[in-house]
Amino acid sequence: MRTTTKILSICFALISCIAQAQYSPAPQQSKSVLIMNVVAHLGNGQVLENAAIGFKQGKIELVADARTIRLAPDAYEEIIQADGKHLYPGFIAPAINLGLIEMEAVRATSDFYEVGDYNPHIRSLIAFNTDSEILPTVRSNGVLITQVTPKGGTISGTSSVVHLDAWNWEDAVIRANDGIHVHWPYPYQRSSGGLESNKNYSDEVSQLGLFFEASRAYCGMPQHNEVDPRMEAMCPVIDGNSTWYVHADDERQITESVRFKQNHKIPEMVIVGGSDAAWVAPLLKENNIPVMIPRVHSLPRFSGDEIDAPYTLAKRLNEAGVLFCFQNAGDMEAMNSRNLPFLAGTAVGYGLPYEAAVKALTLDAAKILKIDAQYGSVELGKSATFFISEGDALDMKTNNIVRAFIDGRDITIRNKQVDLYEKYQRKYGQIK
Amino acid sequence: MRKMILFAALVQSVWAYAQPTFPVNGAREKEVVHTAITHAILHVNDIEVLNDATLLFYKGRIVNVGSNIALPSGTVILDYKNKHIYPSFVDLYSNYGQPAVEQAQWSPFPNPDRNRKGAYGWNDAIHADYAASYHFNYDEAAANDLIKAGVGAVVTHRKDGIVRGSGALVALDDNENMALLQSNVAGHYSFEKGSSKQEYPSSLMGSIALLRQTYFDAEWYKNQGIQQERNLSLESFLQLQQFPSFFETDDKWNVMRADNIGDEMKVQYIFKGSGNEYQRIQEISATKGSFILPVNFPGPYDLIDPLLARQIPLEELKHWDWAPANASSLKQAAVPFAFTTDGLEDKASFLSNIRKAARYGLDESDVIRALCKNPAQWINAYDQLGSLEKGKWANFIITSEPLLSKKCKIEENWVMGKKHEVNVTHENPWLGTYALQTDKNQDLKIVVEDKPQGVLAMWIQGQDTLSLNSTVKTDDSRITISLTPKNDSSNVSQQYLSLQKLNNSVTGWLLIAQNGDSKNITVNGKFEPKIIETDTTTEVIEEWINPITEMTYPFGAYGRTELPKQETVWIKNGTLWTNEKEGIVQGDLLIQNGKILQIGKVTPPSGIKFTTIDATGKHITCGIIDEHSHIALMSVNEHAQTSSAEVEESRVVWPEDIDIYRQLAGGVTASQLLHGSANAIGGQSALIKTRWGVNHEQMLIENAPGFIKFALGENVKHSNAGDFNSIRFPQTRMGVEQVYYDHFHQAREYGNEWKNYNLSLKSKTKLPKPRVDLEKQALLEILEGKRFITCHSYVQSEINMLMHMADSMGIKINTFTHILEGYKVADKMKAHGAAASSFSDWWAYKMEVRDAIPYNGALMHREGIVVAFNSDDAEMARRLNQEAAKAVKYGNISEEEAWKFVTLNPAKMLHLDNRMGSLKVGKDADVVIWNNSPLSVYAMAEKTYVDGRCYFDREEDGFLHQEEWNDRKALMDAMQKAIINGETPQKPKGRKRRHFHCDSTGNLYHFEEHDHENHH
Repeated sequence: MRTTTKILSICFALISCIAQAQYSPAPQQSKSVLIMNVVAHLGNGQVLENAAIGFKQGKIELVADARTIRLAPDAYEEIIQADGKHLYPGFIAPAINLGLIEMEAVRATSDFYEVGDYNPHIRSLIAFNTDSEILPTVRSNGVLITQVTPKGGTISGTSSVVHLDAWNWEDAVIRANDGIHVHWPYPYQRSSGGLESNKNYSDEVSQLGLFFEASRAYCGMPQHNEVDPRMEAMCPVIDGNSTWYVHADDERQITESVRFKQNHKIPEMVIVGGSDAAWVAPLLKENNIPVMIPRVHSLPRFSGDEIDAPYTLAKRLNEAGVLFCFQNAGDMEAMNSRNLPFLAGTAVGYGLPYEAAVKALTLDAAKILKIDAQYGSVELGKSATFFISEGDALDMKTNNIVRAFIDGRDITIRNKQVDLYEKYQRKYGQIK
Repeated sequence: MRKMILFAALVQSVWAYAQPTFPVNGAREKEVVHTAITHAILHVNDIEVLNDATLLFYKGRIVNVGSNIALPSGTVILDYKNKHIYPSFVDLYSNYGQPAVEQAQWSPFPNPDRNRKGAYGWNDAIHADYAASYHFNYDEAAANDLIKAGVGAVVTHRKDGIVRGSGALVALDDNENMALLQSNVAGHYSFEKGSSKQEYPSSLMGSIALLRQTYFDAEWYKNQGIQQERNLSLESFLQLQQFPSFFETDDKWNVMRADNIGDEMKVQYIFKGSGNEYQRIQEISATKGSFILPVNFPGPYDLIDPLLARQIPLEELKHWDWAPANASSLKQAAVPFAFTTDGLEDKASFLSNIRKAARYGLDESDVIRALCKNPAQWINAYDQLGSLEKGKWANFIITSEPLLSKKCKIEENWVMGKKHEVNVTHENPWLGTYALQTDKNQDLKIVVEDKPQGVLAMWIQGQDTLSLNSTVKTDDSRITISLTPKNDSSNVSQQYLSLQKLNNSVTGWLLIAQNGDSKNITVNGKFEPKIIETDTTTEVIEEWINPITEMTYPFGAYGRTELPKQETVWIKNGTLWTNEKEGIVQGDLLIQNGKILQIGKVTPPSGIKFTTIDATGKHITCGIIDEHSHIALMSVNEHAQTSSAEVEESRVVWPEDIDIYRQLAGGVTASQLLHGSANAIGGQSALIKTRWGVNHEQMLIENAPGFIKFALGENVKHSNAGDFNSIRFPQTRMGVEQVYYDHFHQAREYGNEWKNYNLSLKSKTKLPKPRVDLEKQALLEILEGKRFITCHSYVQSEINMLMHMADSMGIKINTFTHILEGYKVADKMKAHGAAASSFSDWWAYKMEVRDAIPYNGALMHREGIVVAFNSDDAEMARRLNQEAAKAVKYGNISEEEAWKFVTLNPAKMLHLDNRMGSLKVGKDADVVIWNNSPLSVYAMAEKTYVDGRCYFDREEDGFLHQEEWNDRKALMDAMQKAIINGETPQKPKGRKRRHFHCDSTGNLYHFEEHDHENHH
């Protein structure tokens, strides 16, 4: 206790809590920063109640108990007193079209849905609009990383993982071309005659298998006289350098996509969706297949389902030991991704332990995206990508981000909406 | 050999007549003889049976019926000993002999105008002038199908449109001049617009409004309108009113919807039911209507794939179980019913399906009433049809057994005295053993047998049957048999045998190759016919049975066998969010008789039973009120016209929507079900409480004020409706303004017209009575302050415009909904007095929400505007408490005030705050018990009371879910068993319902899945 008091008094002049960059993107971290007395949710499932987090040149170099550490007076150039506030690794919003769409109803602003059935070669990264007005509103709620994901067809294309404060997509990229997204064929069909099995289902699956094997053969060739861009794009998946993301919800889709992985020896596979994943949890666990669970704020799929089925899926997967993370693909997903923390909050309300929810939003998401070497948790040597909230960031009532850092850069948490808010507060004399 | 004589190919008549007006080519046929059916068991009507009786008829009509009646000379006597004779059935619901309905070509362009030319009405779905008798043609195939089913006469009409014109009573005779018994026996109605490609009506509520308006127009036309215009549709419509009115429905709720119209227009409809009336028998009975019931019961579903099975809603599975019990449910409720063959793919299965229905509690007289007497009576034709009585048409069926016996077959169906053989099985007279001798005294034994693969002949030598393939042909006089060796190596050659018989002695010849020469050999011998075994087993009378699943309300998942009772509940020691000046306090709450009786410190009631709930650590609030919702509706938009003020959501409430139950689990107790935003002036709202399991009318909040939806911006001007939708006025915000001025001017003029008329007794006699115009009526109510506007709105310019428009008309915009740029004109809204019901944080889904900000609510609230957050979304409505919390996050509104955004403030907007929206003594006991602060993301509603009834209880929820799966399993088992027992499996419909938003068009069910409906 005595030590803490001493540090506080020494550094008083440097203490800042509200300072933040006014422009986006923020410049490289120039000054070292120490955050004191913060409740640090490390992202790995642990929480430090009175943490001291220090970072320099974009890297975390101190994670300690603020009550017991001793530091030289000039060890850090800026000290942030964050008593009672909460610190979290930047939340990660995977599998959505954030940055690929601006206005849903305006076709000219839409860049996520390509024409064609097999498009593994299209790359979302180069369409990622770092200047989207939506990005800052998402950042403001603690989401700092996203996976830019194309849609459409059976194989939609290649996604990339980026952060949300950059000059251009090259700046933004964390992991380029991290994986290929396939929408598993649907085993049922509905016609005026009624509900029945999809007669083309087997064909569609076996066609996918043929394509996979042809790609493997293609990728094994020492040189190509003729280039096939589709197969070319598949090579990293076959090598295990990028991930095979299978969008599937039904038990049958999940099970058969796992068999597909086994048959075609796919090194890295992730289920995106997986409404029925809890039914087949042992299979997923045994095959090390993680799940990006569907938007928690969803209606049950069928009228007879448990009314809280989408709310409890996270808890059930957690208990079954399946690696999972949150995502919010669905209606208006770009704009809605700022509510990602509250999806996790709702899952906590329905039985998921709190730190497991944080972990799913951070380190587990990073593991699934294979960016966990640098991102996803507050640990020594990792990127200083985290934020400070006045209160519990998973609860909308208390989620109030006061500072956020990406690679140590002190990013602005303002956005267009805050500007408009202030403008009209002034108009009405609500503020001076 | 035909095993069965093709029925009706053989119309037998001892006489034939032609209508007297027609010239005859040859000698005129006259009917001179009577026909008597004798020694039969005559089922005269639903009650009376005569044994060993005679039915005498002449010229197609019954002359006499009785046990000992004198037969005139010149009577053909036919002995029908031990046969049962019933009146032929009368089918009231048929399109027999009507031409096919022509379908117009689909066009992507909106089609606001009628396509039909001439002095008819404005809407192509009104075919009042269609008279079925004028279009009736004999249809041999269809007549034969109906005759096979036992039907003798039908009411035929064209199944097209909302008003379908008149039906004709026709007998199933091939002579149209005889068959047409009566034109115009009934008027026919439905909610289906049919072949009309005119856009209006585009929804169920539009159909309802159009039909009501047609009644009003007709009245006006009768009184004075005819002096202003000639309108053949209205003239015909007026004529239709003389006849019984048949209303086709496709669901039990539509019966009630139609009956409401009937009550208003003083018409008692006879309903063509859909077969699910049993699900709401009390309401069905209350209509006082009679019902024409289909018997096309679903077959068992093949559900061995459990992943497919779970996609089938429980109500669809249960319908399989209950559908055959429909008629007996009506019987128990004393609702008169008739049966129709309508909907049966195989009309011959009519009787077996009726028998299936009878097993659930019908006796023979119920069935005769439903097939003969009721239908005849309902069209005032019981003097002609429906029983075997003197003077009626000789329409009767002959059966081997009583009608409900399993072995009963309709053998003959006589229509207007003409016999049609239906099901008579003629045994092949050639089956048996032929012991023959050739002219050389060689024995030859041939056995002819009926095998599954056909009639076969075997050559028997001694004990052996020769290995030969046979082909057998028979006709009345001769049997020819060819026998072919089964393999070439056989030493027997090909044989041909041709035989004829007289009594049992057989002659014929054999063509055979012998020693290289072919020759004919004469054969003679004896024939010994096969003994035909008759089924002599006596029939076991089966007891009446019940469905295996229970009746629940609603009929599907999470339904209850009984509605929750209104309880007296003492909720102790919770945190009370009062929404009153007391604020958030610790205390108790006592509810009784659906009201809040005490609050704070409670004195427990004495002398009555009550429930005590320990709410320590819990939070108690009033129920959430969703100001903008589209759940529990059959349709949201009537989008065809710029104004659809005449349509009412309250008439299309769908109380079985599972989202009602799901929202109870989110603490929602009341919602405004709004019309959509497809037009500038939308329809009238339904204000409901989430009373899960009640009927469509009980859903509505009693004496709630009237509301109407207006809309501005992109949806109204069809901005995002595709390139084809660039026709309808308005296409710009400029046009939108003028829509309002124009319509309100018209409404005011309309009001003046009525005011002048109603001025005095004198004015009423002097002035013509104005036309009731439902659209203007609704707009007039706004001008008179009796109906409130909720206006869908986004950008500030249009918000400003609407307030100016309203000011100039002397009215107020009650609520702006969405109102995402409300923050820009909050001062003006405050001055006007409008409330704001917004999304907490939605934006970026279209151009007009570019400047939407989540601080909108806070800014407007601070300017003194009553602010609510609403859902417009079935999913979000389940967690409006979380949305309210966003007012704390975005704009730092206090928790107490933020909570009012989803409770008291919407109550104020809906003018219901005197009854709900806070915890206050005397207000409705709409109460939610939460496990946490209701604004917390971790909060979960544990119990939700509406009117003091616990409609949601998280513990009971688990039980209801378990019940559902028990039912599912039991039904799957029963279906599997039925399939194994030979019933034909069918594909489940697995109807997928939609989740509506503001811009959703069309009705509740559709087959294609829509991806993007979220323009709001």
